[in-house]
Amino acid sequence: MEPIYEYAWAIPVLPLLGATAVGLGLISFNQATNRLRQANAVFIMSTLGAAMVMSLALLWSQIGGHDAFVRSIEWAAAGDFKLTMGYTIDRLSSLMMVIVTTVALLVMLYTDGYMAHDPGYVRFYAYLSLFSSSMLGLVVSPNLVQIYIFWELVGMCSYLLIGFWFDRKPAADACQKAFVTNRVGDFGLLLGMLALYWCTGSFEFDVMGDRLHDLVASGALSAGLATLFCVLVFLGPVAKSAQFPLHVWLPDAMEGPTPISALIHAATMVAAGVFLVARMLPVFEGLPMVMDVIAWTGAFTAFLGATIAITQNDIKKSLAYSTISQLGYMVMALGVGAYSAGLFHLMTHAYFKAMLFLGSGSVIHGMEAVVGHEPVLAQDMRLMGGLRKYMPVTSATFLIGTLAICGIPPFAGFWSKDEILGLAFQANPALWLVGWLTAGITAFYMFRMYFSTFEGEFRGNDETIRQKLLAEAMVPVTVEVPAFGPGAMDPKELDHGDHHHAHEPHESPWTMVVPLMVLAVPSMAIGLLGMPWNNSFEHFLEPETVAHHGEQAFEWAEFLIMAGNSVGIALIGITLASLTYLRDKIDPAAIAEKLGPIYRFSLKKWYFDELYDTVFVRGSRRLARQVMEVDFRIVDGAVNLTGFVTLVSGEGLKYFENGRAQFYALIVFGAVLGLVVLSGIS
Amino acid sequence: MDFPWLTTVITLPIVAALLVPLLPDKDGRTVRWFALTVGLIDFALIVYAFCNYYDFGNPDLQLVESYTWIEQIDLKWSVGADGLSMPLILLTGFITTLAILAAWPVTLKPKLFYFLILSMYGAQIAVFAVQDMLLFFLVWELELIPVYLLLSIWGGKKRLYAATKFILYTAGGSLFILVCALAMAFYGDTVTFDMSALAAKPYTHNLQLLLYGGFLVAYAVKLPIFPLHTWLPDAHGEATAPVHMLLAGILLKMGGYALIRMNAGMLPDAHATFAPILVILGVVNIVYAALTSFAQRNLKRKIAYSSISHMGFVLIGIGSFTDLGMSGAVLQMVSHGLIGASLFFLVGATYDRTHTLMLDEMGGVGQQMPKIFSMFTACSLASLALPGMSGFVAELTVFIGFSTSDAYSLPFKVLVVFLAAVGVILTPVYLLSMLREIFYGPENKELTSHEVLIDAEPREVFIIGCLLVPIIGIGFYPKILTEVYDSTTSKLTARLRDAVPTLANQRADRAIAVAPLTAPAIDGR
Repeated sequence: MEPIYEYAWAIPVLPLLGATAVGLGLISFNQATNRLRQANAVFIMSTLGAAMVMSLALLWSQIGGHDAFVRSIEWAAAGDFKLTMGYTIDRLSSLMMVIVTTVALLVMLYTDGYMAHDPGYVRFYAYLSLFSSSMLGLVVSPNLVQIYIFWELVGMCSYLLIGFWFDRKPAADACQKAFVTNRVGDFGLLLGMLALYWCTGSFEFDVMGDRLHDLVASGALSAGLATLFCVLVFLGPVAKSAQFPLHVWLPDAMEGPTPISALIHAATMVAAGVFLVARMLPVFEGLPMVMDVIAWTGAFTAFLGATIAITQNDIKKSLAYSTISQLGYMVMALGVGAYSAGLFHLMTHAYFKAMLFLGSGSVIHGMEAVVGHEPVLAQDMRLMGGLRKYMPVTSATFLIGTLAICGIPPFAGFWSKDEILGLAFQANPALWLVGWLTAGITAFYMFRMYFSTFEGEFRGNDETIRQKLLAEAMVPVTVEVPAFGPGAMDPKELDHGDHHHAHEPHESPWTMVVPLMVLAVPSMAIGLLGMPWNNSFEHFLEPETVAHHGEQAFEWAEFLIMAGNSVGIALIGITLASLTYLRDKIDPAAIAEKLGPIYRFSLKKWYFDELYDTVFVRGSRRLARQVMEVDFRIVDGAVNLTGFVTLVSGEGLKYFENGRAQFYALIVFGAVLGLVVLSGIS
Repeated sequence: MDFPWLTTVITLPIVAALLVPLLPDKDGRTVRWFALTVGLIDFALIVYAFCNYYDFGNPDLQLVESYTWIEQIDLKWSVGADGLSMPLILLTGFITTLAILAAWPVTLKPKLFYFLILSMYGAQIAVFAVQDMLLFFLVWELELIPVYLLLSIWGGKKRLYAATKFILYTAGGSLFILVCALAMAFYGDTVTFDMSALAAKPYTHNLQLLLYGGFLVAYAVKLPIFPLHTWLPDAHGEATAPVHMLLAGILLKMGGYALIRMNAGMLPDAHATFAPILVILGVVNIVYAALTSFAQRNLKRKIAYSSISHMGFVLIGIGSFTDLGMSGAVLQMVSHGLIGASLFFLVGATYDRTHTLMLDEMGGVGQQMPKIFSMFTACSLASLALPGMSGFVAELTVFIGFSTSDAYSLPFKVLVVFLAAVGVILTPVYLLSMLREIFYGPENKELTSHEVLIDAEPREVFIIGCLLVPIIGIGFYPKILTEVYDSTTSKLTARLRDAVPTLANQRADRAIAVAPLTAPAIDGR
């Protein structure tokens, strides 16, 4: 198996080559490249496919017990300083590579159907490939600097992809917001990284951890300072994984095409933050304060995301808040030191959430046939309903995903979430309580979503709801959107019929349905890898720990109590949702009316956007304007004043040279007098 | 004596410029081909000379030539290149040649235009190559006049104001160079203008401080450093795209180069005193200019302020007393030369189509100009220090270099790094909102109704492509550039560290422990 390790660098490089080739084609032979639509897609998918095969082989070899493999080259040097870059193939990175390549490949297949009529089809594939490359580069990084590099690159891809439909104003705002918010996190990461390098002299995770702990133990570095450095580093994951208080960008990022939401903003990039925390765990572990901060940030975010998701009507936004909430679980797990549990949830979540997002994309695609390409209408659950009849595969897979995220056994989410909750209980019952409550809310909002989308009557043709939604979003009603956008219809399709649009949604083409079906398999079954009485996932990721502590005695009683609790609250949530949205026993509008302030608080996303807008956005604009005024009036003003004074004094002084000797004598006399007076005083 | 490579590359464009008036040409077509050919030949000569006759491992001056010019005042034509000047000479050749290509559509007085551009070509290389103080002053002045004319004839509406401001500022600054140069030359027993001889003179500490201050004023105007920067937005706001490329790509680098060559290289004792001031000014530059840029509504002025902001990193690097920081400072100069030139070129290209520089009057132009949009995005990302591009490497090395510096106390370092990192947040704020306002969103009907927005032509794509290749190349593998000057900057840093008593002691301690690894001590002081 050695040669495959030698050539493992090709895994991130292959998709990069694909992206470069297509990108160059787009720049130099735009029309020709654009005409070869599917040829480009096939080319890019084959490069990624090759990377996937290599990743699978590496994972297989790692499962077989191969040692970790590191290869690096000197990247930058100045004087005595050397900085290396390279790749490391160990258990964690091989696992992440497989997750990234498989999800990315399925998303690319799905894209072919979803973006079939978009003029930016080829560009979209190039971006997807570039993203896959950066993400793969990130997971194989052997040191913090390299992670930082790829960290920013995935951020750039996210920026480009959120703003993919750049002619839409919300997309334009969202992509900038995402990049800047992430830069705030990167600011912390950069400072933390520099500080850790300053005190440990290394960017390698293990070395950094050991030296930091030695320094703290010997008292050379105060624990408070070490904590501060680690929390700064943690700011990076806070932004990337959309944790409180930097979570605000992720819901807006849903302005990007849906495949992106699935790949970047659900399965892979947002998980990069969790991945970094996992990599940095050797550094964080010895500092209890840091671990507490991480755990509580995660727990609070899980709760925050769930409480907002409950009232959202946009199907993608609702899923986005659910993602924030689930990422919170992962971060909380790592915060209590549950390394493999957090990563296990990362893996299961990557598959079922990717499927849910792709499913929502399929729903939107179907809805657009009815309501046109207006995101306000096509994505709003109030216009959906009864779609199970029209889209059987989508609804079945969506149901599987919903069950998985709610934690119903034996679906994937049950095992991973239960493991996290169990370990959180051991660490701190309060954390468990938050997680447990959140699980109930999760079940409620996910089934609310499922019921109002797929069950009941189809409401898409109800003009009054449409008008109401458009009025809420303040979109001019007579908007005539051209055939452009997600799943834009063939112009021919538009011609027939009196109404422009069909009256019934339809199931999506096979390229979109197949990925859903493929993803349903891991969503159902992958959890079985982590059954608590036979946790092969933990064996794989943490062989040393397992060997060290010995096989932890598995107690059925304990497991049943914990599992019973979480399944119980999930069932309560599901029951409530079905009473409200399926059987119409409870009127949600009445409750919303009764709990007015709380409802609005959740609907308005805890007013974070308003707060940040007032404090940061407007504050920085005001500050910038003031600085510019200073620059213009004072700094530059002084310059112009100098020029003015020179001019005026020159004009004035010329009257002293008037050729009359008496006048000169007078000046000389005055000057002498002045000097005498001056010397007399001093 | 070998072939006089440096003299050739300096004189060739100047001689060619003198031939321009003799060319039989009516509409300017022959002249531009002539200028482009000269530019290419000269650039090829530079590359050839450095490839074959320059040794990267040698930290000292190479390709040295010295001819006595005026014996009475010991004025010599002496040129040479070390790791500091060599990358900048390459940059000059590269950017100027591309600027000639960028000037293709110039129709107003083409002969004069290309005459000025070509004479600037030679003068700029000379600034980086000459090793004689008086000569340095002369070529420094020589390059001002073409810029003044280029601004005042081909500029925008307020061109005379801008050009006058530019000439007053820089000529005022040059006076300080002259005075300091004379003071240095006549100090002590011998009268000489040779830079290495001047560096070896034992100046008293106070005189060093005075000289340092004088040079600092001159180079602060050029770099520019707050509060002497206000000529730059005016000059950049009025210049045309090719002049822009030269201003941002090369002229600003002259300030940084001279700061390293003279202030740090010749007056290391004063540098020990002044370095913290440089660092503070650097931070002020970064944050202040970034904020101002954010508030600007005029596209050219916005980018001009972003240049000022980026130059702050050069100052921090120079003041860091580490190999890494100094290396980052040089890298940042080269990198900004490439990125700044590309951004300004694109601003010009956008202006050619929209005929407005005000952001409020643009919007949604990305739909009709996808190529310009993508190139602008790429260059903006490079400017905001995206990894994989040269700007990131430069800023990262300056950051690491400064934060590991042992010359400063911890609170000072924390403050500086923190504030400089605030700039890292501000840069995307103003660059991305600029992109959003120009290209994103629905089309601005008012603009598209009276302007024809044609997408980039191949010439423009080619220019940006040429600039992006080194930007991305350095970003991917910075050693290709850092290796070129590493020996020179390390030697310089060692000398600077010797001037700081605490650091010099440390070095002595380390020398005992790991004697074979340290460089031989530099004597002569």
